[in-house]
Amino acid sequence: MVRIKLEHISMRFGDFYAVRDINLEINSGEYVTILGPSGCGKTSLIKVISGIWTPTEGKVYFDGLDVTKVPMEDRDVGYVFQNIALFPHMTLKENVAYSPRVKDQGEEAMESLSTEYLQLVNMLARAGMYPRELSGGEQQKVAIARALASGSKMLMLDEPLSALDARVRMELRYEIRRLVKKLGITVLHVTHDQEEAMSVSDRIVLMRYGTIAEAGSPLDIYRKPSSVFAANFIGETNLMECTVSDRSKSGKTKVKLRGGREIRTSKTNFSVGDPVVISVRPEHVYPAIDGLEAEVQSIVFMGTYWRVRTLAESRDYVEYNVPADEEVPEVGDTVHLVFNKKAVVVFARPQGGIEEEIRLE
Amino acid sequence: MSLLKRIDDLSDNRKVRSGWFVFACLVFILVIVVPSIFVVTNLFTDWELVDLVLNNEGIKDTVLSAVFNSFSIAFIVTIIDILVGLPMAWIMVRKNFHGKRWLDTLLDMPLAFPTAVLGISVVMFWISPDGISIPGLGLSLSPYMMVILLHIIFTYPYMVRSLSAILEQIDPNFETAGMTLGASRWTAVRTITLPLFRAGLATGFVLCFARSLSETGGTYIALTMMGVQTSFFTGPSFISFLKSDESLYTSDEMMGAQILISVVMIVLALVLMFVVRKFIAKFRIPYQKVWPQIGRKVSQGGLPKLKDGITIAFLIVIVLLPSFYIFMYLTEPMPQMDYGTLLTSIAISFGVAGVAVLVDIAIGVPMALYIARHKNGKLGQILDNLVNVPLIIPTTALGFSLSLFWGGFGLDSSFDLLLVIFGHISFTYPLVVRNLIGAIEEVDPSCEEIAMTLGAKPFQAFSKVLFPIINSAVIAGSILAFTRSLGETGATTSISQNVNTVPIYITHLVEDGLYTEAAMCSIVLIALCFILMFGIRVVTGRRSKRDA
Amino acid sequence: MPEIVLDNVSKKFGETVAADGLSLSIKDGEYVCILGPTGAGKTTCMRMICGLTQPDSGRVYLDGKDVTDDPVDTRNATMLTQSYALFPHMTVYDNVRFAPQIKGWAPEDIKQVVRSTLHMVHLEQKAEWMPAQLSGGQQQRIALARALASGSKVLLLDEPLRALDARLRINLRKELRTMAKQMGVTCIHVTHDQDEALAVADRIAIIRDGRIIQFGTPSEVFDDPATPFVATFVGRSNILTGKVVRSDGESTAIDVAGTVLLARPSPMEVGEEAVLAVKIGFTRISKKQEEIDAAYFTGTIDRVLYEGVTITVEINAGGLGLISSKLPNRKFDDYHAGDIVGVSWAPSKASVFRVPPEGLEKELKLE
Repeated sequence: MVRIKLEHISMRFGDFYAVRDINLEINSGEYVTILGPSGCGKTSLIKVISGIWTPTEGKVYFDGLDVTKVPMEDRDVGYVFQNIALFPHMTLKENVAYSPRVKDQGEEAMESLSTEYLQLVNMLARAGMYPRELSGGEQQKVAIARALASGSKMLMLDEPLSALDARVRMELRYEIRRLVKKLGITVLHVTHDQEEAMSVSDRIVLMRYGTIAEAGSPLDIYRKPSSVFAANFIGETNLMECTVSDRSKSGKTKVKLRGGREIRTSKTNFSVGDPVVISVRPEHVYPAIDGLEAEVQSIVFMGTYWRVRTLAESRDYVEYNVPADEEVPEVGDTVHLVFNKKAVVVFARPQGGIEEEIRLE
Repeated sequence: MSLLKRIDDLSDNRKVRSGWFVFACLVFILVIVVPSIFVVTNLFTDWELVDLVLNNEGIKDTVLSAVFNSFSIAFIVTIIDILVGLPMAWIMVRKNFHGKRWLDTLLDMPLAFPTAVLGISVVMFWISPDGISIPGLGLSLSPYMMVILLHIIFTYPYMVRSLSAILEQIDPNFETAGMTLGASRWTAVRTITLPLFRAGLATGFVLCFARSLSETGGTYIALTMMGVQTSFFTGPSFISFLKSDESLYTSDEMMGAQILISVVMIVLALVLMFVVRKFIAKFRIPYQKVWPQIGRKVSQGGLPKLKDGITIAFLIVIVLLPSFYIFMYLTEPMPQMDYGTLLTSIAISFGVAGVAVLVDIAIGVPMALYIARHKNGKLGQILDNLVNVPLIIPTTALGFSLSLFWGGFGLDSSFDLLLVIFGHISFTYPLVVRNLIGAIEEVDPSCEEIAMTLGAKPFQAFSKVLFPIINSAVIAGSILAFTRSLGETGATTSISQNVNTVPIYITHLVEDGLYTEAAMCSIVLIALCFILMFGIRVVTGRRSKRDA
Repeated sequence: MPEIVLDNVSKKFGETVAADGLSLSIKDGEYVCILGPTGAGKTTCMRMICGLTQPDSGRVYLDGKDVTDDPVDTRNATMLTQSYALFPHMTVYDNVRFAPQIKGWAPEDIKQVVRSTLHMVHLEQKAEWMPAQLSGGQQQRIALARALASGSKVLLLDEPLRALDARLRINLRKELRTMAKQMGVTCIHVTHDQDEALAVADRIAIIRDGRIIQFGTPSEVFDDPATPFVATFVGRSNILTGKVVRSDGESTAIDVAGTVLLARPSPMEVGEEAVLAVKIGFTRISKKQEEIDAAYFTGTIDRVLYEGVTITVEINAGGLGLISSKLPNRKFDDYHAGDIVGVSWAPSKASVFRVPPEGLEKELKLE
């Protein structure tokens, strides 16, 4: 079990900063996900931690020890690659026994460690097979066993599931989490899939443009995002431009949507007249007798609920959910929508406009 | 327009497409493969000639020692290439540094030099032969050593290229994974990357071996300059020696000797190709033991730098300096030159090379398309191997075989030029096709498929989508084939004595002791080569800039 | 009249069976998803429609016409692949212009079509760019524009979103459907992602081992799966095996490890081995004593996972194994690890199947 600390880490290629001035502490045994769109620097960050790259600036500490200059082969960091990278010319057993082998720990250690870790991922029965004989998900499990067999107490997972089928991905992510929690290992998991990040991590670090945009537990970051980008990236949300129209002494706020309808929001510190954006998730929007008038545009079946997309009188698209066993409106119907005011989060309106702020690429 | 449209429409017909492919196959087999190995049948039809040789101890010993020299030299050269080529491939693929482009160009330089020229230059550099006023290192080397030093120069680029090609396909993550698991770089390379190298090693091995085995002009010139051309032979130089005197090569015994040498070299080369492929594919280092301490020491500190230094030093001292040494002649006074003959031979050389390359492209494209898209099919694999055959066969034997084959059809000496072109098509064809296959494999097959679903007929999908994409690879392959044809001596001499290409002309000059004239011709030829390559680079470079 | 018909087609690649007597008929203007695990034959199915793959046996009909032996370019069925396969040597504009030009349309028409399709995918300002300069999502939209500009009435999408980031996929899949509907093309969309399939399709064809095992609307496939595999592949299900103890018009009762569970009515006989599948989203849990009393069984909460819109509660139910329940996120604060809860579901939400002949484990394999 290892505590990781990053101090002012930057990774520069020519003029381009892949990672810029990152400070981060990860507790021993914590499962942290680094989440972000393509090119946000998330992979660069774990490459720096594991020593594959040396940062241009800053220091990496393991348990208080400065390891910035320690080469990767001496850092004892398990690393699992997106493209799996099992050695194709070795059997599963040889793959898992690779670390004890190159550390010259002897035949016995090779045998016992490979058996132990293959058993742990339920692949012992196929120890003699070659990687190409396995499906993608099975290969990735062996790759994790290989990384763990090095005795490492830290695991870097570099988009470990993105090469797999959606359904396999879902199964495997729970399995990985169960496994590392059992062993008490510190994990950094890089992904662009917010659903994956939400379901496995103790803490999510959201990155953008090489810096940390926001960090927190899945619950906090989903319920109380601190930026429009985070609100939109982590889970779907309805974003609406509006202006603060009223605010009481205790912070109770009302905003005016385009078209003039006024709604109540959670408590804020804005002043009347401030241009703002509100974010409200589809599960907090309900049809009612009276409220924001909207025309139903499409209805999509999502399994346990229906997702209804509407065009509101404020010219915003507003989506809401209807449980599977309740009645759904028809396309073209007019509905009236109300929001759970506690779940309406208010942000200052971004300088470059909402479109620019929530851009994914 | 109407012709193109007709081709477009025809290409919709599956039968027409297969017909075109079958035609290309037939041309390949009947014009390239069969004539190349036709001489093997002479072993049976002209057994009495061969029998004459086998009964003459003197000639038999000469023939056998020539063949032995050829194979042992090729083997030693290839091993040296592998040892020095591996670190060079690493530098080229896994490292980024300033001047990498320069190194890249320098590596290919020796390929642009006709081997006959290299022969002169290398001998000048290492020893100081009689009749040459420019001082060399003055070492006293045996002819055997000399030939090895010469062969390393023009095989080395092939080895580095094929090793780099494979290294590029090996995911660097394998090595990184090994290192995060605690292996030092040296250990990771030894236990992971090297074992994954096998296929590339086989290709590089066969390419270099074959190239060394078949080289004629440079070897013969080097031996002539050392004055040992009548006492020390390699297989090809022996045939060259015979061809230098009409009374020799028309005699029955010597005919027999040529047949014997050709057949033995062809058969051994082909057998070797398959054995090496099989052997390397099956080979596994049984020893699992790892020494972490040693591995660590070797991977850190000055040793890796020393290794890179030696690699670069080898390139400079063994490959580049000897190649460029011939330019020392520019310091000498201009000799009296027979410009008429030189110009004629240049025209012939360029003509032959040009025609050969054009034919290669015309019949190589359908073949390359088929092989690239059917790599896993049976026929695809057979053709893939078959395409390499003319590359493996020593060109001298190939030329001899060709002249026997077409001679059988009554093509006499007035068709010599045509036969020489046929010969050059044979050994350049694999170069062009290999390059094409590589380029086509790089292109996402769905590009063409999508074009067809968008309404393009198969020929349109080729001409408007695939061909523009692989354009630059076609040109690169053509340059390679063109320079190879320009520098070829062995095939040309063994087909005909009347077609005076530049390398042949240079060989004659050297035989007559006219070193200065030979060197000047060489410099002119090299200059022309460079101008041509540079011109094409500028043209294609401009195009790729526009594309970007 | 059905627009696309695959009639009993089969195709083998060496030993691998990619299509095994597969039949499928798709209506004019319909958006159909072909959903299945890797290697199920999804792509082959699509390639046979546009003619890039020839079936070994069986016929292919487009618009009522047998096109099995017709060349690709005459079929008017355009494909879009996961690599996009934009022509790298042409500008965005030339890429989109490719089909109209090949088909020899009038120059003004070509200009008009290219303009309007580029406008539709919001990329008209990138017309002079080369494909390599665009981001993944932009490339995907150009590939779509190129396909739409061809005027083809059939659009084949082969995992069109696979190479994109998860969040971007959600945005683009909505766009895909909207545009396809707007242009009135018949769409076949191959994917391995069941959420994507549910979100875009009019009908979903589930394919496995070269055979279609179910073809129906998203809610049919989700609510009434044809096999245990479909039950777990499209949305996770709790799967339990036991013996039928009662089977009548009201429900089927199954004894699983001594606990009697209810499912919807089925033709199964008492005493038969049966597999029960219930979506984790329809698996209800409760901490209230009266509901625990009424529940099928009880268990201890192992973990509560916060997943955004939903939470997943994993319950250790002793002999019944690990049971999951998916709930709306507002229930997050109600449940904690170690809580004892009662588990139940509406019998109409649970499906019953016979035990598959190859065994349940093989049936449920996802890869």
